[in-house]
Amino acid sequence: MRTALALEKAGFAVPDTLEKLRTCLQAALEVEHLTIPVYLTGMYTIRAGTNSAAFYGIRAVVMEEMLHMTLVANLLNAVGGAPVVDSRVVAEYPARLPFSGESVPSIGLQHFSPAALKTFLRIEQPRSMTPPTAPGGGWTSIGQFYDAVREGLEHLVRTLGHDRVFTGGPERQIGPEDFYNSGGEVFPVEDLAGALLAIETVTEQGEGVHDTIWNSNETFGEERELAHWFRFNEIFTGRSYGPHDRPRDRPSGPLIDVDWDGAHPIHGDSKVADYRVYERTSAVYQQAVAFNSRYAVLLRYLDSAFNGHPRHLAPAVPTMLELRDRAAQLYRNPHPDPALAARGCFASATFEITDPQFDAADAEVARNLAAASLRTGEPVDLAGLASDSAEAFA
Amino acid sequence: MTGTVGADEAVRRRYDVVVVGGGWAGSLLAKDLGERGWQVLVLEAGNGGAETWPGYLDSLSTFYSAVAKVPNSGYRRSVAAPFPDVLDLAPVRDPEPGEREYTANGYFVQNGRLPYGTDYLRELGGAAMHWLGAVPRMHPEDFATNERFGYGRDWPITAADLQPWYARAEFEIGVAGDAQGQRELGVVTDPDYVFPMHQIPASWIDRYCTGLDGTPILDEVADEQYPLKVHSLPQARNSTPNPDYRPGPYRPSSAVGLPNYGERCVGNASCVPICPVQAKSHPLRQQARFPRTVTTATRCVVTRVRLAGPTMGGRVSGVEFRAYTDPASPVGRSYVVEAGVVVLAAHAIENARLLLFSGLANGSDQVGRNLMDHPTVLNWALADERRGPVGPFRGPGHTSGWEVFRFGEGRRRRAPFRIEIGNWGWGWATGAPMSNVATALGVGGDRQGEIRPDGVFGPELRRLLGSTIGRQLQLQIAVEQSANPGNRVTLDRRHRDATGNLRPVLTYDLDPHTRSGVYAARLVAARIFQRLDATDWTNHAPRDGVPPLGHFTHTVDGTTLDLAYSGAGHGAGTHVMGSSPRDSVVDAFQRTWEHPNLYAVGCGSMPSIGTSNPTLTMLALALRSAEQIHQDLVLDRRPADVRPADEAEVPA
Repeated sequence: MRTALALEKAGFAVPDTLEKLRTCLQAALEVEHLTIPVYLTGMYTIRAGTNSAAFYGIRAVVMEEMLHMTLVANLLNAVGGAPVVDSRVVAEYPARLPFSGESVPSIGLQHFSPAALKTFLRIEQPRSMTPPTAPGGGWTSIGQFYDAVREGLEHLVRTLGHDRVFTGGPERQIGPEDFYNSGGEVFPVEDLAGALLAIETVTEQGEGVHDTIWNSNETFGEERELAHWFRFNEIFTGRSYGPHDRPRDRPSGPLIDVDWDGAHPIHGDSKVADYRVYERTSAVYQQAVAFNSRYAVLLRYLDSAFNGHPRHLAPAVPTMLELRDRAAQLYRNPHPDPALAARGCFASATFEITDPQFDAADAEVARNLAAASLRTGEPVDLAGLASDSAEAFA
Repeated sequence: MTGTVGADEAVRRRYDVVVVGGGWAGSLLAKDLGERGWQVLVLEAGNGGAETWPGYLDSLSTFYSAVAKVPNSGYRRSVAAPFPDVLDLAPVRDPEPGEREYTANGYFVQNGRLPYGTDYLRELGGAAMHWLGAVPRMHPEDFATNERFGYGRDWPITAADLQPWYARAEFEIGVAGDAQGQRELGVVTDPDYVFPMHQIPASWIDRYCTGLDGTPILDEVADEQYPLKVHSLPQARNSTPNPDYRPGPYRPSSAVGLPNYGERCVGNASCVPICPVQAKSHPLRQQARFPRTVTTATRCVVTRVRLAGPTMGGRVSGVEFRAYTDPASPVGRSYVVEAGVVVLAAHAIENARLLLFSGLANGSDQVGRNLMDHPTVLNWALADERRGPVGPFRGPGHTSGWEVFRFGEGRRRRAPFRIEIGNWGWGWATGAPMSNVATALGVGGDRQGEIRPDGVFGPELRRLLGSTIGRQLQLQIAVEQSANPGNRVTLDRRHRDATGNLRPVLTYDLDPHTRSGVYAARLVAARIFQRLDATDWTNHAPRDGVPPLGHFTHTVDGTTLDLAYSGAGHGAGTHVMGSSPRDSVVDAFQRTWEHPNLYAVGCGSMPSIGTSNPTLTMLALALRSAEQIHQDLVLDRRPADVRPADEAEVPA
């Protein structure tokens, strides 16, 4: 989150050099990632067998955030940058939502609850619902931030010329062959038109197309869907949108089954250090450490994929499945602190991924990338993968 | 978005084509004809639902909560449109010598020496809603076994005729495979062909078995040594698109009913019956792409094909069907719908049932005869403990096989067979892994029903399960069964379902050539296990007086073995294709000889099924039939004679 926070601190500005544009796009990558642990926590804390509409709704948004990260990486690569996915990308929760003004409360890890959904809604709030600022004012919304990126990009193309902006090699672009393309489709960014489409996809899947509640998935030949804010609002209000609802209307369609009791309450500010205190009485500590180490591995695969090896997305897939399975176990454990457990709190993943986790992940990632068969155009073969945190069953 | 209509809306118009059955063949054919502009009605006897996301989730949870994870366990029973289930069969304890060793208590009435141990599903999407997704092509020699090896029935067409249709079917359903490997086997002949997607990666067990590549295995029935080589199986399952596929680029299909879901196979290992991420292809994908010209009606059980009046040259005019609203009730209401062409695509046994009941297309007396399946002999073993676990219960049901026993002169001595290297442990053979847990806990008790004292718990249970489950190897070997007119579907007015429809009466047996194939397969599997240093636990003999289902004994060169087979769900042959109306039901385009606008499509048309899972061949044939139906309709509708435009004609 370091790039984004620094950029925010520097104040509102349209990037006027290529270097500043690349910094903006690195910040965008960080912002897109910021939401993923937040939404994952909301999703992972849903009790199995309950809240299926909410589960799949949140899941669909997470899928699109992953698409957005990838599209931003493509865009950054297209303009000659090199995305970095390491500790600077990861936020410390509760985290500031950059580019959104001082009034926005910090974003914590919360279990599936009305409060969590309120946070989700604040993150995805469309520009049309954000009061305009006076000219020369500061950052107000992520939409405004992407507007600045687009403006800067168009300006640079006009002043420097198209070919001096789009200098990235096509081999660094991630295409649908390597992305499991659920939720819109990833596409290579090679020119201004592609770059603008990428920005449009990222913003409209979030806040909707202009003055509608729908996203832009029709671009990809898929069924149109609600944009993120409206999807979350359906869960929050327990009611789906009707056919004639406008963005500012309360949903008027049929009720959907939302059960706020169908969740594992957590203490979202828990840290690995808190769990460590109870290391001798609870395996939660080890499991939380293992979860973070897997998450670091996932991010390092992304780093490699975004830097000239699109096929390195493939080993990220089993890593995500491992995270899913680990989460399914972790969140079902009582909080190791007896006082919190007595209040009904469950354990949770902390998403504390800092340099030591990344350093540890690097060795495993390098080993696995060498062991797997991941040549472009060839069949993917992950048989050689081995996880450092694998547990022997017998 | 898939839309279905009720019967009242469906019968408001006359159609160009009415398709009976919304499974693989019917869906592909309807989509093709609809895209050419013809008005098509698809009548599905079963219920819909899985085309919506809540419906799909319901099937998933029905499967998860089922005690017996059989192929139909994801779907509810129906009174209005009943269907067979593998659980309908039960063994007879201490059977009298020479008497039947099984009873059949479901939809099928069975009176054969051996049980027809196969099910299907009446549900929108058909039996493809529980299929595995294995789609190997048939080998050229499979089409002419009589001419080449002196057994079975020959096709009126060759593998070469089908190659382009195979390729189209592989595009439509989305096949992942290794074309080079299939070329080595001789089943793909186009030197430049690649599948739309790269092969599904080999499983850990496949790699374990690849260690035997080059090892010769003696088949003593064929009296021949066969060198082993593991080959990848083509599968209708989303994988990485192959950039060399033409015309490209190929895009894997996502889930039906929920955008943002479904994509590539990640090895969830419940392909049968249902893939939780919809990586496995199914006909609802085709239906989601139906153009507006195609109307689909569910819960419409076709009861009869109607023959047109005496001046109509044997043509049929449409179908009668009964529509119901509640699958749990036999109550329904009858309708008639008319169409230019009637296509039966309701499964081999249902097609035969409809033709027999309608009294149509049976001048050859072949309707219902030649019922085939792939009798499948299961072999199970534990891998060498010193080499550690082999990784069962990961990935699709099987991803590779030993193919060498499918081809060549050995077919003269015994039926050929395809060895599937199973990825799901002893699941099919013994109900593992749940059966392992029960055994380890002592659940089930001893012969007196008392709790066994040797049950284990805690870390010991964990260790025991890890050791016994983690080393499970299973070879399921599909043996070719050739056409035999004695294996047949008949009707008997005494046997009806709750709605009054006649139930299929099946007479089934395995002939000596097929039995020798099962025998040879069992011995080959034993030799392979030996080469793997695995402990062979296979046992097809009666235990405590109870024979396994599909049990028989067979003697070759004075040695008698207890053997047993399971059904593979590959019903075929019941409206067999041929070159003469004297001895076959349909022509090479699956058009009935006697009724020029009545087609019977599906595996029922196949004169032989080789050792390939038959769906892909069925779909190639269906697409070929769609082309022919299009030509028929064009001829029907074009004016017989068009005069040159001249002054005599007044512009309209």
